[in-house]
Amino acid sequence: MDFELTSEQKLLQDSVRRYVDKAYGFEARTALLQSGRNGSAQNWNLFAENGWLMAALPEAYGGLEGTLVDSAIISQELGRGLVLEPYLGCAVLAAQTLVAGGTPAQKERLLPQLADGSCRIALAYSEPASRGNPESVTLRAERDADGFSLHGRKSLVLGAPGAQAFIVSARIEGTAGISLLLVDADSAGLTRQALPLHDGSWVEELTFEGVRVGADALLGEAGQGLGALRAGLACGTVTLCAELIGAMEKTIEVTAEYLKVRKQFGVPISAFQALQHRMADMAAELELARSMLHAALASLANDEEPARLKTLSAAKMLIGRAAKLVCGQGIQLHGGIGMTEEYLVGHYYKRAVVADLLLGSSDSHEALCAAALQAELGV
Amino acid sequence: MDFQPDASLEAFREEVRGFLRDQVPEDLKGQQRCTRSPREQIMRWQKLLNQRGWGAPYWAREHGGTGWSVPQILVFDDECSAAGTPTQDAFVHKMLGPVLNAFATPEQKAEHLPAVFNGERLWCQGFSEPGAGSDLASLRTRAERDGDHYVVNGQKTWTSYAHHADWIFLLVRTDAQVKKQAGISFLLVDMKTPGITVRPIRSIDDAHHLNETFFDNVRVPVGNLIGAEGQGWSITKFLLNNEHATTADLPELKRYMRELRQFATVLRVGDEPLGARPEFALKLARLDAELQAVSMLVQRVARLEQLHDPASHVLGSMLKVRATELQQRITEAQIEALGDYGAVAYPHPHEAAPAQPYPLQALARGISNDMFLRRASTIYGGTSEVQRGIIAKMLFQF
Repeated sequence: MDFELTSEQKLLQDSVRRYVDKAYGFEARTALLQSGRNGSAQNWNLFAENGWLMAALPEAYGGLEGTLVDSAIISQELGRGLVLEPYLGCAVLAAQTLVAGGTPAQKERLLPQLADGSCRIALAYSEPASRGNPESVTLRAERDADGFSLHGRKSLVLGAPGAQAFIVSARIEGTAGISLLLVDADSAGLTRQALPLHDGSWVEELTFEGVRVGADALLGEAGQGLGALRAGLACGTVTLCAELIGAMEKTIEVTAEYLKVRKQFGVPISAFQALQHRMADMAAELELARSMLHAALASLANDEEPARLKTLSAAKMLIGRAAKLVCGQGIQLHGGIGMTEEYLVGHYYKRAVVADLLLGSSDSHEALCAAALQAELGV
Repeated sequence: MDFQPDASLEAFREEVRGFLRDQVPEDLKGQQRCTRSPREQIMRWQKLLNQRGWGAPYWAREHGGTGWSVPQILVFDDECSAAGTPTQDAFVHKMLGPVLNAFATPEQKAEHLPAVFNGERLWCQGFSEPGAGSDLASLRTRAERDGDHYVVNGQKTWTSYAHHADWIFLLVRTDAQVKKQAGISFLLVDMKTPGITVRPIRSIDDAHHLNETFFDNVRVPVGNLIGAEGQGWSITKFLLNNEHATTADLPELKRYMRELRQFATVLRVGDEPLGARPEFALKLARLDAELQAVSMLVQRVARLEQLHDPASHVLGSMLKVRATELQQRITEAQIEALGDYGAVAYPHPHEAAPAQPYPLQALARGISNDMFLRRASTIYGGTSEVQRGIIAKMLFQF
């Protein structure tokens, strides 16, 4: 195991950090929030030009043959700037589900377009009652003469605004298991309702009322979609966790600087031990969370599925809670200014709150860990 | 950054396992290691390790040590703990030994190092005093020069295992006129010297590890001074900065978790195993996740130590705070897992068993002793509050 970045990884980190520092200042971000949904197409093209969208895609399909570590590095830096473009939703969740579940022909057709940013696909796996569980699927796909007709709902689809297509999890009538289908975003019978999240990003609620797709819309084999979905979600979970590491880093840096300049009782408030110790606890929380991210990356590289799933859930739970704690304390240590919309620290907390609920809340993942432990123990 | 397992480290683990399996007699295995092992066992274990060439597992080759990397040391500790071997004398191996290697004269090395390797001399540490805890530099035990001796007067406290020790390494004040740190010297003292009195302090874990140690006109040869007069504080800082990755006591944390998992299957609540209860399973999940994160943090700190990266200090302080809190939480969870019987004061494992065994004794004995003893983890080696101060100053320059 090696915790230091290789020179290539360092270059990647530096390039994303330079971009975020330059293009994602607080005012620029505020302007982006007001001008569009989920950032700008211009920024997305820049992500593509810099190779960030293709970093973890296979070389055979226009990618750079990187690993999940690359996605984590990119995401951590994006998290420092609360970047709005849907890197997680489109470049990781949907792209990696496609990598894991698509046929060679489908990958050949779609992945190069995802890699160069010319097409965006979003992953529609969650439903109103599923709370992050990919196996909880009620959306029906009825077979007809030359394809399928879809009925049901998908909730909070990340990266949906601006996506040209969705990967939709469904149950095909008469077929056991979960299937994945590729659905055009402008299909007849598909209603898309945009919803704003607390962090300023937008998602979509999708309603399928007899949406028709051809037989070639099926991703991989019928009934065999869960493995690919889990693979995509694993990458997405790690990426989201890495983003939160970046958000915590920035919150702690900003707060430390503030404590040095804010004076009360005639001294910088960083002189007060109560605040020093709080900062030390926040820093320790961050480093423990970072180690949990490393544990998740290590588990995905080395472990069998039950251990992988347990570690991923542990990571989502522990890092999600750490981010809420650290970013919440960022507000607390700022005092009143931390409550204002015009100051950045509150926005990190909002992202932490949203992230904790996405891809399964920390409570859900805690329950999954508990169930996994019970299975290990045979109780 | 990559997370592939290190094949050479796994091969090393097999080598340690082979030694433990084939060359360590059964009566030196299968013990709980939270507290120090009895004197005779420490000595037998030390001789056995020395025969294998592993007499100083933590030291560099140039000092006769194994030259193991920090990750190798962690593997060694992990395997020894899993096998339940006796403990080594940590005071000399982890604290005094590196000081001797770095600061002692050839005569001092010749006097003390062979006894470290062959396990014939146990050490204790004389640092804290009734008035000098976290503010160690305010210590008052004084050593006054009288010909070729120092005359030591004063009191040390929390001197763990002084009642088993042959020698003590001692911080004394040799100059009261200078800044408090500058007047401290580092002295080695034979515990058989006239004028030393050791009084036991019984601790809340119902055992005797701690002592008060009194020095009444104790005459110590000048040749027992390590370094120069007044150098004691910088030697102490060197000593305390020597190791961070092992402060987590990861092998013990893992043992606690193994035991807790065993409780989950063996103990019953109503007609189901404890582990089937959601309140227990959720708690186990939280502890298990945190242990996973702490384990990885240990590896990170070990790696930084190996590279002599100064970042290992601040990360080590964070690890100390979080790992010691986890020690407390897992051992508390163990008591809670025992249900009503968690409240029973079973006899300490080092004491005689009661004539009529207490209910659940085979499983529960020793659990509460570890739990109470672990309250000390966040106090010794720099309290959690001192660590937080260090983190805030080093990381943020507050």
